[in-house]
Amino acid sequence: MDRGHIKIDGVTKIFRRTDGNETLTALSDINLDIKPGEFIAFVGASGCGKSTLLRTIAGLETPTIGTVLADGEEIKGSSAKRGLVFQDHALFPWLTVWDNVLFGLKSTGKKKEKEDLANELIKMVELEKFKDSYPYQLSGGMSQRVALVRALANEPDVLLLDEPLGALDAFTRMNIQDVLIDLWKERQNTMILITHDVDEAIYLAQRVIVMSPRPGRIVDEINIELSYPRNRSHSAFIKYRNAILEKLNFAHEESIPDFSI
Amino acid sequence: MAELAVSLKELAELEQDRKKITKGQKVLSRIIAALPVIAGVLHLIEYLFVPNKGTNSCTPVYAYLVGLGVAVWGVLYIISFFKSELYAILKYKAALYTALFILLTLYDIATLKTGILIMPYFPWLDRIINSIISDKEKLLDSAVNSLKLLFTGYIGGVLVGLICGIGAGWSKKVRYWVNPFVRILGAIPTTTYMPIIMILATSLFGGSAFLIGLGVWFPVTVSSLTGVSNINTHYYEVAETLGTSKAGILFRVVVPAAMPTVFGGLTQGMSVACITLMAAEMMGVESGLGWYINWQKGWAEFGKMYGAIIIICFIFVMVNNLLNVVKRYVLRWQKGENA
Repeated sequence: MDRGHIKIDGVTKIFRRTDGNETLTALSDINLDIKPGEFIAFVGASGCGKSTLLRTIAGLETPTIGTVLADGEEIKGSSAKRGLVFQDHALFPWLTVWDNVLFGLKSTGKKKEKEDLANELIKMVELEKFKDSYPYQLSGGMSQRVALVRALANEPDVLLLDEPLGALDAFTRMNIQDVLIDLWKERQNTMILITHDVDEAIYLAQRVIVMSPRPGRIVDEINIELSYPRNRSHSAFIKYRNAILEKLNFAHEESIPDFSI
Repeated sequence: MAELAVSLKELAELEQDRKKITKGQKVLSRIIAALPVIAGVLHLIEYLFVPNKGTNSCTPVYAYLVGLGVAVWGVLYIISFFKSELYAILKYKAALYTALFILLTLYDIATLKTGILIMPYFPWLDRIINSIISDKEKLLDSAVNSLKLLFTGYIGGVLVGLICGIGAGWSKKVRYWVNPFVRILGAIPTTTYMPIIMILATSLFGGSAFLIGLGVWFPVTVSSLTGVSNINTHYYEVAETLGTSKAGILFRVVVPAAMPTVFGGLTQGMSVACITLMAAEMMGVESGLGWYINWQKGWAEFGKMYGAIIIICFIFVMVNNLLNVVKRYVLRWQKGENA
């Protein structure tokens, strides 16, 4: 896959604070090149601007300074090329699982061509039996799987994941992490994951970006050179974890020691 | 995986065993479920065999109706021996229907049999029923006219209310123009405008339909505005990133997402519509059940008046039931709506 290249070029985002005349710098001079088909994860404490960055890539926020390019074109608004999955899954409760999955296909007028793909994806996440169920009848994990399929059925070049597994219990989360890897290997699209779970980032991503708050900026990036499926108790895994946790703990200090594995 | 397969019926039996329901309790339940038949038969005996007061007279029509009620319950009761769901319903409703038959008996004694409640203000039910039958064409005509006026006003008010409310929730410009109207018109009960409309409107039907519509418009506008404002913003953002157009978001996200709140307004609007309808018909419109009531009151035909009231009650209950059916269908995706 050669599509799904994201280039973040000097992006700064400043918000007006609602409680006064002050401003808040959410992102400060972010530069990053995300390769097509790459699985990249952003970790950082809350307030480090990682969600803002994701929303900027989605086209839901406009950078105050700088640009974000998707396959060489400046992002000026949302697009079906960049799918989005939220922590609260945001399934449309008035539609059945199947109609939720078809929602994007109906929007882009590709229902006929891609219905088979949607079916295939539903099978991959083992929800064929629930096609006619309404979201209120699903568990949190099932809902999140539907939300992933809904986003992927549209064949986006980039899938943006805003802490998609944050609200799930540990077992469901590990289960869906494997589902995510399967879906990524199958679709070969670019995956951009926001998470506060360091293990999750190491388990899933090829590259982990560590961010620090106030103002949100990139502290370090670490390439995870482990083959899939990864072993959470492997010594190399634990080494990566310690390295990233160390970065996060020191992240509030001005001088950040250089670190690479 | 080994699973203990249990049918619903078996589960009910298992649970019942745990609760230790005795034979005596079971027999008592059966008797309670049969109480309406007993009360109904007692009422029939009272109606047919206790002598009427003075010149009070009655026909068998009322007895047929009560008998029909008793018979229906009796048939259901027999079926309920084989259908546990039906039995549960009968047990639940038995007290209510028994009370109804007792009330009918008391009313019959107070009017037809003893005259404690004096004529002509309190006619017994048989008289009311016969009045309805004797004037059925006029009543049917009035009912049709009432329903026409009610639904013309209601549907008009709902449509304009939905457009205003969803528009105002969706766009700040629309809200700017809708808000003042909601604030000023919403504060005044629509019946206040009645005299003006009666003078100004070229057609009383049109004027009254407008008033009903106005009364419906307000709660529908407010509820749909609230419904749209409370939509989870993630729905918009997901729809956008799925490539949905503005119009698509409006019709495929905003409208369905606001529906649960909108239905609150639709129900409230219906009750306002019924009130306005009666007021309009009693004050000026020369047709419909409200007008019929006033007209019969003028002739001291209290039997017909009560008859019309009973019919109004029946119609309004039916209209609200219809609204509930629609609501349950539209909101079938909500937890608890389809239970």
